[in-house]
Amino acid sequence: MNARTARQWMVPHEWMIKPMAQTEWISGKGLLVWLAEVFSALGTGLYLVSIFFALGSEFEVTAFWTGILGWIGVAVFKLPLHFLYLGKPWRFWRAFPPFSNAWRTSWFSRGIVFTIIFLGFAAVQLVLQGLIAYDVASGTGIDVANYIFMFLAGVCCVITSIYCGFAMSYCKSVPFWNTGLLPFVFLLMAVADGLALIMGVGLVTGEDVIPSAESATRILLIINALLIIVYLVNANYQSVTAELSVKELIRGRVAWVFWLGIVILGIVVPLVISIVSYFTGAEASAGLLVFAIICHTIGAFSLKYGVLKVGIYRPILPKGRAY
Amino acid sequence: MRWGMVINLAKCTRCHGCVAACRIEHFLPLRLTWPRLVALEVDDGFSVDVSTYPVRCNQCKEAPCVQVCPTEASYKREDGIVAVDHNKCFGCRYCVIACPYQNRTYLSRKRSVNYFPGHATTGFEKKGKDLYPHVPGTTEKCNFCMERIDAGLAKGLKPGIDREATPACVNTCQARALTFGDLDDPYSNVSKLIREKNGFVLHEEYGTEPSVYYIDYRLGGALSNKAPVDAQTGHHMQHLSTVYAPSKPKLAKKYED
Ligand code: SF4
Ligand code: SF4
Ligand code: SF4
Repeated sequence: MNARTARQWMVPHEWMIKPMAQTEWISGKGLLVWLAEVFSALGTGLYLVSIFFALGSEFEVTAFWTGILGWIGVAVFKLPLHFLYLGKPWRFWRAFPPFSNAWRTSWFSRGIVFTIIFLGFAAVQLVLQGLIAYDVASGTGIDVANYIFMFLAGVCCVITSIYCGFAMSYCKSVPFWNTGLLPFVFLLMAVADGLALIMGVGLVTGEDVIPSAESATRILLIINALLIIVYLVNANYQSVTAELSVKELIRGRVAWVFWLGIVILGIVVPLVISIVSYFTGAEASAGLLVFAIICHTIGAFSLKYGVLKVGIYRPILPKGRAY
Repeated sequence: MRWGMVINLAKCTRCHGCVAACRIEHFLPLRLTWPRLVALEVDDGFSVDVSTYPVRCNQCKEAPCVQVCPTEASYKREDGIVAVDHNKCFGCRYCVIACPYQNRTYLSRKRSVNYFPGHATTGFEKKGKDLYPHVPGTTEKCNFCMERIDAGLAKGLKPGIDREATPACVNTCQARALTFGDLDDPYSNVSKLIREKNGFVLHEEYGTEPSVYYIDYRLGGALSNKAPVDAQTGHHMQHLSTVYAPSKPKLAKKYED
């Protein structure tokens, strides 16, 4: 159809014929979903990094407090924010087996179930870690128990971190999300968030986690930057609607969130700081580290905001050119 | 048995009868509409094309909304109707986003206001609260008037044939653009229409297998699909697929003609 002008008559249904962005999970009360997902990334990232550092005996105290912060991020922020978002919050139990078998098909349900299991396992592991870190108890038995719960909580933590990506990528209605890459972008970013924050914990506990965390962050940030580029290029060629999402993200109204929040503060600044300290051989000063951590955390907020905000629905009407 | 609907685009006159019928049948709150009429006017510089797509929940056979629902509030009945149990739904709105046809609406408190805000509730609304209560904080959509179908079948009536057992919008449609029946019966009115007039579904590529079919003489491509001239309301009533309309025009320059 060689249409020169198109006038659309019925404004309330605009979203059905125009590529309009979803609002349920980002506008008004939907902002709670965004915040919940950010705390999900920060919390799970912190916990995953904490168990990595807990494997050795050098950073037991830092690992303990990082794990505690991660647990708080999920239990005190993520879950209550999700809960507040629900239209009927007191029916939350309906998502859990045996009241619902939806976990078989619904990533939302799986995610919530695994979040609760994660919190249970992680609580036990953190108690054990605390006993070890503060020399209240020791011995092979407690170490083995710690490793077992670490493994169980770690697996559940990965699922907690990744399920939101799967839940979003399941939606054929939003082509920009409808890709298997999304969960991995979210997971790697969460781990990078955790690495950034553990440096802050290290500053407080005095344990020397910074060099290891910095070198891991350096690699991870580069991988993340590449993954985001691949994601955007892939979306750009996936469909016209996904391409429009990419355009909205990098040139549209939320472009500042992408360039300032995700690219500059989330990736470039922390990366430059860690690369400079790598080449100069000198550790970044505490002030600079705190600055990098703040920038990275703003990046975490921006990433989820940007991705949710440019989730554009594919219009429903058939047309010559495929959306 | 799988209930389905065929919508003849060439016959629809955009009278809004179906929208009104559904509102009355289900006492729909002020800012909520289950069926919708999506209308476009496209001017190519020489002539103006007008099209109307009546849309409603497609009662998909492979319904994403059912698969994503964490509470099993969205469920599929044996007769193919996708329904929502408002006593189970906790308002997560995942189904609203996952429905590739954007046919679900979350009933927020903002949407659930009086017909005449600031004034007394009308008798109609009061009756509705008893007969068809809506639950703010949950998600709603067209349910193929399943209450009418169930009540009709219980009386031995045939949905799609007997008015009492047929969806309200189908009964009301003055142009007879809507037809209801059993898709599993190859000799039903809907199966015949789909076969003879090249019925198609929206976004077949999603694999959702909708139960709402459309007939359009242009899109179907076959001559038999051309609606009789007298079924059209005027020479300007032509049907077309949609046009590109970006959310921010400057971003879509490349797609403009
Ligand atoms: S049209 Fe949407 S709401 Fe209706 S059954 Fe299909 S996916 Fe579900
Ligand atoms: S809003 Fe209700 S019906 Fe929709 S997915 Fe959530 S619980 Fe299920
Ligand atoms: S079938 Fe019934 S519920 Fe669906 S749009 Fe028509 S009148 Fe409304």
